[in-house]
Amino acid sequence: MKRRSFLSLLLAVLGTTALGSFVYPLVRFLAPPEEKAKIKKVIVKKNDIPASEAKEILFGNTPAIIINRYGKGYIALSKVCTHLGCLVDYNKEKKKLICPCHAGVFSLEGHVESGPPPKPLSILPLKVEGEDIIIG
Amino acid sequence: MWKKIKKGIEIRIGLEELISNSLKKYRVPKDTNIFYTLGIITVVAYMIQAVTGYFLLLYYVPHSEHAFNSIQDIMNNAPFGWLIRMMHIVVSNLMVVIILLHIISLFVMGSYKKPRELTWLAGGCLLLVTLAFCLSGYLLPWSQRSYWATTIVTNMPTAFPVIGDFIAKGLRGGDYVSGITLTRFFAFHVAFLPPLFLLIVGLHIFLVTRIGLTTPPFNKSAEEEKPWTEYRHVSHPNSYPFYPNFLLKEVVMIMVFFAITFFVISFMPTLFIPEAANTPADPLKTPAYIKPEWYFLAPYQMLKLIPNKFFGISLQLILIGIFLLWPFFDKKEERNILKRPLLLVVFLLSILLWVILTVWGRYS
Amino acid sequence: MGYLNRMGEVLVRYSFILIGLILLLMLVVILSAPAGYREVFEKEFLRKSWGVEKIEKSACLECHTSEIMRLELQEIPQEWKKSWHYKNNVSCHNCHGGDREDETMSMSHQRGFVGTPKDTEVPDFCGKCHLGILKNYLKSGHGKALKSSQKGPNCVTCHGSHNIQKADIDIINEGLCTQCHSFERAKVMKQALFATENKIKHIEKELTYLKSKGLYTGDEKKTLFRTQVEFHILFHTIDVEQVKEQTDKFTKRLNLIEYRIKDTFEELDFRQNFSTFLMLIFAGLGGVVFLISRSCRE
Repeated sequence: MKRRSFLSLLLAVLGTTALGSFVYPLVRFLAPPEEKAKIKKVIVKKNDIPASEAKEILFGNTPAIIINRYGKGYIALSKVCTHLGCLVDYNKEKKKLICPCHAGVFSLEGHVESGPPPKPLSILPLKVEGEDIIIG
Repeated sequence: MWKKIKKGIEIRIGLEELISNSLKKYRVPKDTNIFYTLGIITVVAYMIQAVTGYFLLLYYVPHSEHAFNSIQDIMNNAPFGWLIRMMHIVVSNLMVVIILLHIISLFVMGSYKKPRELTWLAGGCLLLVTLAFCLSGYLLPWSQRSYWATTIVTNMPTAFPVIGDFIAKGLRGGDYVSGITLTRFFAFHVAFLPPLFLLIVGLHIFLVTRIGLTTPPFNKSAEEEKPWTEYRHVSHPNSYPFYPNFLLKEVVMIMVFFAITFFVISFMPTLFIPEAANTPADPLKTPAYIKPEWYFLAPYQMLKLIPNKFFGISLQLILIGIFLLWPFFDKKEERNILKRPLLLVVFLLSILLWVILTVWGRYS
Repeated sequence: MGYLNRMGEVLVRYSFILIGLILLLMLVVILSAPAGYREVFEKEFLRKSWGVEKIEKSACLECHTSEIMRLELQEIPQEWKKSWHYKNNVSCHNCHGGDREDETMSMSHQRGFVGTPKDTEVPDFCGKCHLGILKNYLKSGHGKALKSSQKGPNCVTCHGSHNIQKADIDIINEGLCTQCHSFERAKVMKQALFATENKIKHIEKELTYLKSKGLYTGDEKKTLFRTQVEFHILFHTIDVEQVKEQTDKFTKRLNLIEYRIKDTFEELDFRQNFSTFLMLIFAGLGGVVFLISRSCRE
């Protein structure tokens, strides 16, 4: 009988541990995801970017660029080329974004015009409020 | 306190009698071997899949742009998400292994014979539903392997002259695999297949318990040799009750199953995740050697080798038909396979063929 | 009626002999499969979404691999096939222009055919794609020498023309650099590059290891690639001072990647420990229940 009760005790202990090591992960899994470290909004003054000029900013971890497109308003794009990850450069004369690695060419809307990139550049949320341009 | 609750339930639903009838009176022959537990392990594996699946549903996004990234989220950002996803992957593969062992042991012991033909048929359908689960499941991560293996599989119905194209387009939701395919397969995997599986499993288990377990044919059992002309639940003179003896045996095997699962997760985490399964899908780039999961390698290799598409697929369908309806083909009453050399040879030949095709498919 | 029934019975009874025969037939068919069965199969089943098959038709290759060509011209496709360009689907017309599909226009100036660039034209030829490098090269001593005196190293001098491999620090070696000047200067540059290059190689190895463990490393790879490329572009200024100045910046960026990788390694360790723990608990449970079941036998 002693053996039986020892085994039952062992069973209870192991069983509870097993159950606990399932319940704990599942409960933590259910917890709501942490507020993705709120990427700080970036605020730029309109005056900083004259027509046809651009300004480079860092949005969270992503290098980005705000362009004052002549006649078409402001746009904020990620500078990360969708081909292999190099950073594109803004070419004022040609009005394009060109990647120095393999000559991928993007329009100022971020669309791929030539070269190897498979996808357009990511567009970042941009709002104009009074004298400020707010990204994020 | 515990006794009071038990008494309360007892007067309301007659718990004692229920347990006594279905669990204690249900007899299990004494010479059952380890293979008799494979059935319940499959059910447990399905439960694990369902539970981990529900949890994965919390984070997974079934859209071609987000699917792969949502899975990376589960693996890296959600607490213990990796554990849930790894369990889902490993158990899905182990479940197929267990089912195959279950089928082989049943075949060898002749347990499909009269009166258990329907049980075999239901079981065969369960195998097909499981494979459908596997197929629809591994498109969901939207990796290179997912995309291209699904392209091949959904092109297979086109071998049939008239309805082939229609079926293929219906499966894919178009002319080629796209986000629409993903949504459809997700619906199959999560909504259509589970109730179907549960329905057939219910039937299968009902049939097993209604008729009773077989004894292994390697010892004489006069009881089993009486011809089946009317219904009876098999009685085993040399047996013990299902509860607690056999149930405990089953629980041991279930624990072993869990231990094997965690062994694989700890020490062989990439066993079921080849490189192509860890790269996001790229419809413009076909990887060099696409292979489906291991359980599909044999039919895949066979299809590759048979030059005519239509002939290849028809042959496979015929083989599936023969498999499902086998109890109706093999009517001899002798259950001991060692006493039927012809059948033994055919059986071993098929297994050998399957193994050769699988290994060949793996390395070709 | 009874006659049909009996027929059915006989058929069914001997059906597994039939099945055995079918299996043997399959074995024969399979063992006599024609070579190249995989390609035929993939053609049938691997319908690709963009319709036209890639790379198949190349007018350039059709002539340049044929016997009528001069031997030197025949060797070019063989060299190209060993290159990093080939592995990334960059082929003849991407650099030389011309029409890839139409033989009659494959060397036509109307289709942008350029032919073999002269020594002084090589930088602009390669710089069609490698813009960043061209910019720095033109500013460098090498570039200025070429432009002013028509004598100087161009891209092909160090990288070759068709068998181009992934750039490695050992391109800077005595054989190449002493063609024009002593190796001393090149050695100084090589030393300045050495530490950063090593770090990059080390991180690459770690990323490959993580990938082999089942982790998806795409994002880190992109960041590493970007850093490595910028470093290589910087090198082409052939300005040791600039390289030394910027080495700190690059090292900081590489360090950031390394911290993240270290975190990942720790996470992997935790995962393995946790699942081993679970495995042991279940093995233990199995053993205990087994012992209990044994004592229940009575």
